[in-house]
Amino acid sequence: MKSKIIIIISLSLLLAVVLFMAWDMFYNNPDDNVNPYAYDLKSLRSGDTTKILYEETGHFSPELSAIHGVDVDKSDRICICGDNGVEIFNPAGDRESGFPISGTAGSICVDEGGRIYLGMQDHVEIYDKTGKKLMQWTSCGKDAIITSIKVSGKDVYLADAGNKVVYHFDQRGNLLKKIGEKDPERRIPGFIVPSPYFDLGIGRKGELWVVNPGRHQFEKYDGAGDLISSWGESSMSMEGFCGCCNPSNFAMLSDGSFVTAEKGIERLKVYSPAGVFRCVVAGPDSFIEGTRGIDVAVDSKDRILVLDPEKKEVRIFTMKKPGN
Amino acid sequence: MKKILVLFILTIILTIQFLDAYSVQRFPKPEFESGYVQPETMQPSAHAGLLAVVDVIVLAIALALVTWLVLKKRSRIGVFGMSVLSLGYFGFYRHGCVCSIGAIQNMALAVFDNAYVIPLTVIAFFILPLVFTLFFGRTFCAGVCPFGAIQDLVSFKPQKLGVRLNTVLGLIPYIYLGLAVLYAATGTDFIICRYDPFVGIFRFDATFGMFIFTGTLLLSGIFIARPYCRFLCPYGVLLNWVSRYSWKHLTITPSTCIQCRLCEDSCPYDAIDMPVTDKNPESRSGRIRKMILICALIPMLMLLGGYTGSRMHETLAGVNGKVRLAKALLEPPSSTGKPELMEVTAFKSSGKPVAMVYSEASGILRQFYLGGWILGCFLGLVFGITIAYRMVTTYRTDYTPNKGTCFSCTRCVDFCPVDHHDNV
Repeated sequence: MKSKIIIIISLSLLLAVVLFMAWDMFYNNPDDNVNPYAYDLKSLRSGDTTKILYEETGHFSPELSAIHGVDVDKSDRICICGDNGVEIFNPAGDRESGFPISGTAGSICVDEGGRIYLGMQDHVEIYDKTGKKLMQWTSCGKDAIITSIKVSGKDVYLADAGNKVVYHFDQRGNLLKKIGEKDPERRIPGFIVPSPYFDLGIGRKGELWVVNPGRHQFEKYDGAGDLISSWGESSMSMEGFCGCCNPSNFAMLSDGSFVTAEKGIERLKVYSPAGVFRCVVAGPDSFIEGTRGIDVAVDSKDRILVLDPEKKEVRIFTMKKPGN
Repeated sequence: MKKILVLFILTIILTIQFLDAYSVQRFPKPEFESGYVQPETMQPSAHAGLLAVVDVIVLAIALALVTWLVLKKRSRIGVFGMSVLSLGYFGFYRHGCVCSIGAIQNMALAVFDNAYVIPLTVIAFFILPLVFTLFFGRTFCAGVCPFGAIQDLVSFKPQKLGVRLNTVLGLIPYIYLGLAVLYAATGTDFIICRYDPFVGIFRFDATFGMFIFTGTLLLSGIFIARPYCRFLCPYGVLLNWVSRYSWKHLTITPSTCIQCRLCEDSCPYDAIDMPVTDKNPESRSGRIRKMILICALIPMLMLLGGYTGSRMHETLAGVNGKVRLAKALLEPPSSTGKPELMEVTAFKSSGKPVAMVYSEASGILRQFYLGGWILGCFLGLVFGITIAYRMVTTYRTDYTPNKGTCFSCTRCVDFCPVDHHDNV
């Protein structure tokens, strides 16, 4: 009897194998509607929420029809540039002033003297806070796409995504040198900028940090334009950067840490001055899928100001308090 | 004059060879700026060809060794050792490819598709075991086939299934063989490879589904010894046929059977034919009636099978990618409520005319119609012969291995008390 049961069970298993083969051959088309090569980021969009150490503590909406850049002046006033205008808000997010401009400003920087530098596609325009145009520099060329401006003392640095180079100007608009052009002899790999997301920043010691987005790396240059060091890892994990042109923008905290913004998988992260991943500011859940051009700025209190062009908001993130 | 002509032809050939060596890529490789280094064009490793030759040599040596162990030494331990070695070499080292079982498909494709050039290694893997079987029985199954070896390792408590079950389940390999040949001949698929249950183990890369599939088969193999070999293996069908006419097959006893019945339950594969004495011999008229019935039955079954096969040609052809594509193009997603198939999207982007797909699919359907007839007739013949075997009584006096189904594993040999010097 026991033997019969064993045989029946074994035969059932064997028949299951045969039936599976027949079913799979003639009736099963499991992959019919599934593209195994589909570009699907869903799994990567869900991250470890315990790594999110910041929370959104406020937001405000500029009146501009489209917003592209954010910066903070020495009084923590928040300056926003966009289509045909600039707006200035106090640290609480209340609008203080604004002025019209002709065209689209893709990037903005406010210097120590409160002058507002605007990257206008191929050239720079400088305004005071009342909206008076102080200067307009000559064009950087027909292919130029100025995506970032930073002022450090008397030096002005422009990131030109179109020509894949960083320009070093003086404050009068004279070109001093080009930085980051491919030069194997100086071991400069050159910038890889497949799309117009190309940011730069100034470190605590005045060093120039430039994102090499195609390489997913930050590169540090000295005053002579020599490459000193770099960090960054191409990776699909939270610790690295992935996709095309990431990080798209960044800002620096007071301790020299980097706040990075990414597109594709929209997220903000913080890295130590040495480039070690620290935490997440906001994950993909915080953004509308497909949001691009998230700009970031940091004020004197290390609040992270995030320009969300899709929601047309400036969102303020602060570090969570212990126990929160 | 003749010499000049030969020299002229040789010069042209050498010039072509020379120019070929200096040919450049028609399309330059894309240049990346990321420091990405273009990988070198992959070529088969230098020793791949050599390994193929080594495979054939190892196969021949293994077959010779196992045959010697089976027929001369009658050593179960030796055969088992050889099967483990074969499992290691052909299974885990060579990843189960080339295998004689899958070679059926290559042979079928080579016969029906002139454009397909079958490698000599594959031919050797297909032919060598058959040749050895023709002379010495299924020694390949005993100690060379890695599939058999892996199943032998899990066959802990083999149960006897009885003649009826063995007969019914024994028809499955014929269906599998027929389908495998049909799909290979039409260039549709190599289903033996697709449903190869052990290659995932050999390569340590089984998908979860395949892992379950193999696990289920091996689980049944604990109690039903060598389930794949007995009830699935299509190559086993060919070996079975050939082995029936083997010149020198393994015998249970080395001398004369003393009818001790010790070997009666020794075979885990139910491959020992019991003695059938002629105490109540069948009458002549009864035998004639049976023969007439068989002669009428077999053609009828073949016709019935052929007709059924031809009626199923659309279902059979559904496995073919081009037929599936044509069917999907005929049924737009809006009518089925399903999203558009990836193949359809890819086809639409190719810009090729739909009529071309329909034309190709139509041609394939015709092939399957004919193939369905042949497959059905073949299966009808197999069913008929199986019934005939059941109807006709074969008289024998000794316990003998069934030359068709016996794997020559030599298990039964150990149960025989007769020494080969004995003369009882």
